[in-house]
Amino acid sequence: MGDQNTILGESGARHLLRRTGFGAPPAAVERLAPLTRGAAADQVLSFRPAKFKPRGRYTAQVRTSWLKYMLRTPNPLQEKLVLFWHDHFATGDDKVRDARRMADQNKLLRQFCKGNFKAFVKAINTDGAMMEYLDTVRNFKDQPNENYARELMELFTLGVNDLAGQPNYDQQDIVQIARAFSGWNWDWDRRRPVFRNWQHDYNSEYPERGEKVIFRTRGNFGPAGRDFTQPGGEGPMEIDQVVDIIFEHRDSDGRSTVARFITKKLLEYFAHPLPPYPQNAAIIDPIVARAQFDTTWDLARLLREIFVDDFFYETAAPAPFDASTKKSVVWPVDFAISALRLLRVKPRSDRWGNWWVEGGDWSNISSAIGDMGQWLLEPPSVFGWDWEEAWINSATLLARYAFARNLAGARGSRTYHVRSDRLIDLNLTAPGDIVDAVLRLLGVPDQFSSAERQALIDYLGGPLDLRDEYTRYRKLHGLIALVLQSPQFHLH
Amino acid sequence: MALTRRQFLTRTGLLAGGAFTSGLWTHPLVRRALADIGDRFIVSLFLDGGNDGLNTVVPLDNGSFRNFRQSYEILRRSGPGGLRLSQAELTPYALGNDPNTATPLALHPGLQGLWNLYQLGKVAVIQGCGYPDYNLSHDVSRRIWQTARLNAMGTGWLGRYLASRYSASQVPALSMGYWVAAEFAQQSTSVLTAGRLRELDFPRDTWYSEEHAPARTAFEAIYASAQASAQGLLRFLGNTGSATLQATDAYPTLDGLYRTDRSSWLDQYNALDSSTARNLREIAKVVYGIRQGVPNVNARHFSLANGGYDTHSNQGTVGANDTHNELHREVGDALEVFYQDLEDMGMADKVLVFVWSEFSRRPQQNDNGTDHGSQGPMFLIGGKVNGGIYGNHPDISDSRVLNPGATWDDGNTKYSQDPSNPHRSTDFRDVYGTILKHWLAIPHSEILANILPLDAGPPEDYWTSENFDLVHPVNGQPLFLP
Repeated sequence: MGDQNTILGESGARHLLRRTGFGAPPAAVERLAPLTRGAAADQVLSFRPAKFKPRGRYTAQVRTSWLKYMLRTPNPLQEKLVLFWHDHFATGDDKVRDARRMADQNKLLRQFCKGNFKAFVKAINTDGAMMEYLDTVRNFKDQPNENYARELMELFTLGVNDLAGQPNYDQQDIVQIARAFSGWNWDWDRRRPVFRNWQHDYNSEYPERGEKVIFRTRGNFGPAGRDFTQPGGEGPMEIDQVVDIIFEHRDSDGRSTVARFITKKLLEYFAHPLPPYPQNAAIIDPIVARAQFDTTWDLARLLREIFVDDFFYETAAPAPFDASTKKSVVWPVDFAISALRLLRVKPRSDRWGNWWVEGGDWSNISSAIGDMGQWLLEPPSVFGWDWEEAWINSATLLARYAFARNLAGARGSRTYHVRSDRLIDLNLTAPGDIVDAVLRLLGVPDQFSSAERQALIDYLGGPLDLRDEYTRYRKLHGLIALVLQSPQFHLH
Repeated sequence: MALTRRQFLTRTGLLAGGAFTSGLWTHPLVRRALADIGDRFIVSLFLDGGNDGLNTVVPLDNGSFRNFRQSYEILRRSGPGGLRLSQAELTPYALGNDPNTATPLALHPGLQGLWNLYQLGKVAVIQGCGYPDYNLSHDVSRRIWQTARLNAMGTGWLGRYLASRYSASQVPALSMGYWVAAEFAQQSTSVLTAGRLRELDFPRDTWYSEEHAPARTAFEAIYASAQASAQGLLRFLGNTGSATLQATDAYPTLDGLYRTDRSSWLDQYNALDSSTARNLREIAKVVYGIRQGVPNVNARHFSLANGGYDTHSNQGTVGANDTHNELHREVGDALEVFYQDLEDMGMADKVLVFVWSEFSRRPQQNDNGTDHGSQGPMFLIGGKVNGGIYGNHPDISDSRVLNPGATWDDGNTKYSQDPSNPHRSTDFRDVYGTILKHWLAIPHSEILANILPLDAGPPEDYWTSENFDLVHPVNGQPLFLP
C-alpha cells in the first residue's frame, strides 16, 4: 500500500511512463525512479494544453497529422488523453464527411483534455462534427431526433445504469432532452453552430408532449424531476441547463453519477478493469472525494489522484505474473507510437497523409494501425472502440507482428529507420547482455520471466560482434522484432 | 474437424443416455446422424445499427384481423422523405400470409436475392423476434442478442457452446473483420479473425530467410510460456498468438484451392463488389476447403456483419441510392450467390445462415428516417431449412404505436409472451435454442443449464418457458428438415 509520498522506483517509473505516455525510454525511467508518486504525477501533468490542430483537407491527412504529432510531442500524456476523449466522444468521419470538422473537434479535445469536465460536455454539445455525427443538425421540432439525447446520457455522462445496476434514466427523459436540442443547426457560411427559433420545439406549440421535465423517476430528484427551462426559460440555453441537471444526477446510493462514471472510465483506461459493485465503488469514491471532482469537475485534479492511487499501480508488478496480477492490453496506436518513439525512428511522409518507415515495406503507418483495429477518426461506432481482449485476435495480432517486422527490418537512410548502432552499445558480445540491453531500450525488462528471456538468448545463438553491420541487421534487429512481437510488449 | 467417437457420442447425447452398445455404432440412424450433424456449419450475419423490420417484412395488404396495411400507411408517409413502400413495389416480392392475422406480407424489393431463395423454400422468416423490456441502446441490445442474457454481460451464446465442445488448441470459429464477434466470445478456445484468408500470413524476416527457423522457435517458446501463465490476459494473448501462427500454416492455401477449383463462383462474388459478398466468399473458401479435406482447417462457425442500418435520417425507399435499399440489396444479392455456391459444391444442406439485428426501428417514421425500435424479423437460410413465415407480425395497430405522442410511451410494438395474446412475440432465445438443439444436436437440458438460462419474472412478460422445437405454422414440420 502506498500514497502520493511513495517512491516510484524503476518498475513504478516504467509503469507510469507506459500508462501516461508512449513507452518507457531508459532515460526517462532513470529520471522518474527516485521521485514520489505525487511529484511524478505533477511532472507528467505539468503541460499546458497545446493549441495544435491536425492539418489536412482529407481524413487520411488529418489522421496522419495527428499521429505524427503523437510521435513528436514532448507531452505524451496530452495525446493519451486526446485519444481517450476521441474514444469517449466517439465521432466518425465516415458519417461527418468533413475532415476539417474532425480536426476542429480534435483541437477541442486537446483544449479540454484535462480541463473542466462540465464545460467540456457543454462544448461538445455544439461541436460541429458531433452535431453531424449524432444528428443534432437533423433534430427538428415536428419530430425531434433522439440520437444525441440518448448518447449524451448513455455514453458521455451517466451510463445506462449506475454502479449498482439501477437505470439512470428512462425513455421519457430521452424524449424530453431531444426537444432541448431541436433548433440547433450549423451555420453553413460562418462554420459555427447557430440556434434557430423557428426550428425549436417550444412548449406552447406542442403542449401534448408534456412539460420539459426530466428525471421524474431517476437520479434522486424526486417525483417532480427537474425542469430544464428553469432558470432562463426556453431557447438556446436549454442545452446548457440539461447538462447542469445531468451533472446533479445521483446514483441510487446517493453518489454523483457523472463523477463516478467518468472516474471509472479513466481508471479503466489508465489502469485496468474494475471489480464489480460494490468493490468498484470502494476504489472510485475515495479518488472522487480526494479530487473533489463531484463539485469542481477539474479533470487535472482527478487525474493526479488517479496517478497516485494504489489501484493505478497494481499493474506495475514485475514478472513473473500470477493469477492475481492485473494486466491491460496496449491500444494499437499506443503500440505503434511507442515502438517508433522508443526506437527513435523518424518516418518519411508525403502531403497526402502517407507516412512510412523508409526501407521497410513502405506501407502507410496510419493504415497499419488501422489494420491493428484502430482507424483514428473512424471509430467502429458511437461507442468507440472495445478495449482489452477485444483488441486481440488473429487479424489484429498479425497486423502488430507485421508492423514489428517492418519496423525492425527496415533499411533506410539516416534516422529514417532503426539506427541500432546508436541505440545499443556495440561492444556488448554476450547474448544475455544484448537481450537485457534491448529489453531496457524497449522499456520492458521487468515483463519477461527468466524462461522467456532465455528463449531470446537462445535466438541469438552465441556471442555476437555487433560492430559487424550484417550481424547487427540479421540478429539484433531480429531480436528487436521478436520483443515487439512478444505478448509482454502488448500488455501493460 | 474429424469427430472422434467420443466427441460424436457426447454431442449427440448418446453417451449420457447410457444407450451405447457396440452394435449401435453401425445402426443406420446413428450413421445418418454422424453424417448430418457432426459436420454442420453456422454463419451469423449481423445487420449492425438496427434494421427497420417494418420495411423489411412489410404488410402488403390488410388481412382478416387488424388492418396492418392501413396502420402501415399511417406510420409511413408517402411523398418527399416518406418511407412508405407502395403495393405496386411490393407485389412482386410477396411472401404469403402472416400466420396470425392473415396479413399478406412482402419483402422489401431490395431483398430480391433473398426472395429468390425464399421461392426455393430455403428461407425461414421468423417475425417479431425480441426479448422483454426492450433496451434501445445499440450497444446494450446488441450485447443482449450476443450474450443471450438480459444483463448483456459475459460470454457469447455460441461461445458457451464452443467452450463446451472445443479445447484451447482448436480453432473452431472464424470472425470476418477486425473483431471477434461477441456471440463467439469466451476464453477456452480460439476464434480466428481475418478480413481475407490470404491476410493470414505470418510476417517473416524479408532479408534473411536463415532467420525464419530460429525466430519461429523463439516465438513459439515465448508464446508457449504465455499459454502456461496463470495471468489471464497473458494466457489469452498466448493462446491467440499460437492459434494464429498455426492458422497461417493452413488457411492461406484455401485461397488458392478455391481460386483454382471455383473461379466462376469467385467472379460472381466479386461482381457484387460489396463487403458482405467478400466476407461470404471467404467463408465459402473455408467450407470448400473442409469439404476437400484440407488438413488443420476446422472452423465451422462464422460471423460477419454489415453496418449502416442506423437510419435515423435519409432512410429512403426503393431508389437505387436509397440507404435502406442499398443495404438490403447488398445482403440479399450476396446471400443468393453464397447459397447457390454452397448448393453447387454440395454443401447447402450442411450450412445454416441466420440473420439478425440488435433491434428494429420505431414504426412511426420521423422526418425522413426512423428511431430505435423493438422486435424485428430474423432470417434463417439453408438447404435443410423448412422455408416459410414463422412467428407473428408485431401489432402495429396498437394505439400506443399509432399515436405515441399521446402517451408516455416510446411508441414501439410490445414484446409479450402471454399465450393468450394473439400477437405473442418470438423470444430470440427460442430461435437460438432451436438452432442449438436441432441443428447442432445439443441436448435440451444442457442448453437450458449452460447456454440459454430462462428469465425469472412474470410469465406473460418474460421468457420463462422455452420452445426449442419451432415448427412451421402451416405444414407442421420442424424448422430444420431431416
